[in-house]
Amino acid sequence: MIKIENFRKNYGDIQAVRGMCFHVEKGELFGLIGPDGAGKTTLMRAICTLLVPDDGVIEVDGLNVREHVTEIRNLIGYMPQRFSLYQDLTVDENMQFFADIFEVPQDEREQRKKELYRFSHLEAFTKRKAGALSGGMKQKLALSCALIHTPKLLVLDEPTFGVDPVSRQEFWEILHEIQKGGTTILVSTAYMDEADQCDRIGLCFNGEIVGLDTPQKLKNDFKYMIYEIRNENLYRLRDFFARHPEIRTTQLFGDALHVSFLENPTESNWRQYEDEFGDTFTKRSQISPDIEDIFLDLMENHNG
Amino acid sequence: MQEIWVVMQKEFRQIFRIREMIAIIFVMPLIQMALLGFAISTEVKNVKLVVADQDNSFVSRELVRAFTKVEQFKLVGHVQSEKEIDALIHNWQAQLALVVPKNFGRDLQRGSIPEIQVIVDGMDGQTAGVAMGYAAGVLNDQLQKFLTQPQMRQLLRGVHMVNMQERMWYNPNLSPEQYMVPGIVVLLLTIVSMMLSAMSLVREKEIGTLEQLMVTPLKKHQLIFGKVIPFLILAFVEFMVVLQIAQWIFQIEMVGSLPLLSLLALLYLFATLGLGVFISTITTTQQQAMFVAWFFMVFMIIMGGFLVPIENMPPFLQKLTYINPMRYFMYMMRDIFQKGSSLHYLLKDAIPMTAYGVVIFTASVLKFQKRVS
Repeated sequence: MIKIENFRKNYGDIQAVRGMCFHVEKGELFGLIGPDGAGKTTLMRAICTLLVPDDGVIEVDGLNVREHVTEIRNLIGYMPQRFSLYQDLTVDENMQFFADIFEVPQDEREQRKKELYRFSHLEAFTKRKAGALSGGMKQKLALSCALIHTPKLLVLDEPTFGVDPVSRQEFWEILHEIQKGGTTILVSTAYMDEADQCDRIGLCFNGEIVGLDTPQKLKNDFKYMIYEIRNENLYRLRDFFARHPEIRTTQLFGDALHVSFLENPTESNWRQYEDEFGDTFTKRSQISPDIEDIFLDLMENHNG
Repeated sequence: MQEIWVVMQKEFRQIFRIREMIAIIFVMPLIQMALLGFAISTEVKNVKLVVADQDNSFVSRELVRAFTKVEQFKLVGHVQSEKEIDALIHNWQAQLALVVPKNFGRDLQRGSIPEIQVIVDGMDGQTAGVAMGYAAGVLNDQLQKFLTQPQMRQLLRGVHMVNMQERMWYNPNLSPEQYMVPGIVVLLLTIVSMMLSAMSLVREKEIGTLEQLMVTPLKKHQLIFGKVIPFLILAFVEFMVVLQIAQWIFQIEMVGSLPLLSLLALLYLFATLGLGVFISTITTTQQQAMFVAWFFMVFMIIMGGFLVPIENMPPFLQKLTYINPMRYFMYMMRDIFQKGSSLHYLLKDAIPMTAYGVVIFTASVLKFQKRVS
């Protein structure tokens, strides 16, 4: 559905995207995971024909974004990062407006609205102004407007940003429903825990894709042992482990330290660590890596 | 066309949803017009006059009486010395002082040429000049009356006097409203249309809806026209309302053709709305757009012949006014309003004004990118 080959984009001297390559298959729910400034928005805008690539090729449904601007705009539904609906228009007026612009035929329109209301549960609020909706409801309305013309491809730029956890979960359930209807979805997020909701993910960092696969595969391929270690003095603990050559990464996660070892340490190794550290570790347990561990590992070991 | 209509509908909904908007568009200009119409008056009336009559003869008293009879002057007091005059003018209590020297009446009757002194507060040069003119007029009238008395006839033997007969065309009563109010209507029309259009696109940029609109099949000219036509309609309706109410409040009359004026107003709105949209395309926030719009408007108002006639400007500034669309419409408005000119006489202004609108709209459509930068 989307083909990205060697996509580059610079803003002045800053290389926002430096050579991204990946494909998104038809019907897939693909997640772009990465922190702010990783180039996710730039990539999505290029896919939506909002900006022209400096180098490389991007094709949407076989159409090159440089040449087939209008055709591509007709077949995608785009939800930009910032909440972008008319706050002074009602829920229904917003949906009507986008239906009008995309020239959705009247007879299809009612059917489509009914379907979208079923996902979004916004029927009860059709007469309410968009500005008076809660954050989660606004997001669902924006999604409904992006879907009103039944696009083949849905592009969502950080749709769950600033939305409460319950609404986020609900939002992802809606996305799965939409996916079942055959729509390809490209979604970006800075929340690593949302990676597991996607069929495949691309880990974005510093304008590059540093990891690309299904979340499960990425986890399985992670060959280092991760331990969760707790001690009152976390920072000293981190510095202590960071000094050891057999340790790949150390990351603080709340009140615990995640340490990945190149080789699984033995009981005697642990005793040795405690002796050297001069204190016992209150907890130590092998944990299976989540996407955040993998991402931080890739980030740290990517360039150096 | 269908798409333009869709955008127009949306715009109208948004405009009428905000009650304050209706007030801004219709009520505020009416209040402004009423206030400005009464306030901006170039007429000089009730000049505070102080008299130092050192002669105190029949002739001098008659002269002072002549000053008190016209409405341009208001006698505020009699003094003796010039020193007192000094103090009164300094304290803003008098604007013009008349000093009639001793033996003025006697010298006049003898046929010599006596002098009379007029002191004017020259701080406001324009008012001072006008007041001085009035004073000279009163003085001449009085002198003429005096010299044509039978007993003075012999003095005038051999002297031929010319009596000037004045006729004011197009504004026989020299009513300042007749001239200023149409100008104010042009001003208000310009401000409302430019403000509305300058805010239009940039508002969508600011709240982020433009990015979503960009990724739709909507063409850029469809978006721009869809957004501007509602403002064109609103501003035109406002123009009509303000024009009618102005004539009623100020008791002034339009001589020329209303359909012709309407047509030219629409063409003028095309230019101002185009300028507004252009501002919208080069700015990124509403605040920026507001500042840029005001920058243009101050230039337009000052260089548009509203207060200062363009003919009085230095030649290079006069040339600069040709890029001001208000210049053309201000001329045409006054021409139609007061002289009843037909289109034939107005073409030299109508053509450049229309061309201005076409150029600025084309520039806006070209400048407006359906991409993000």
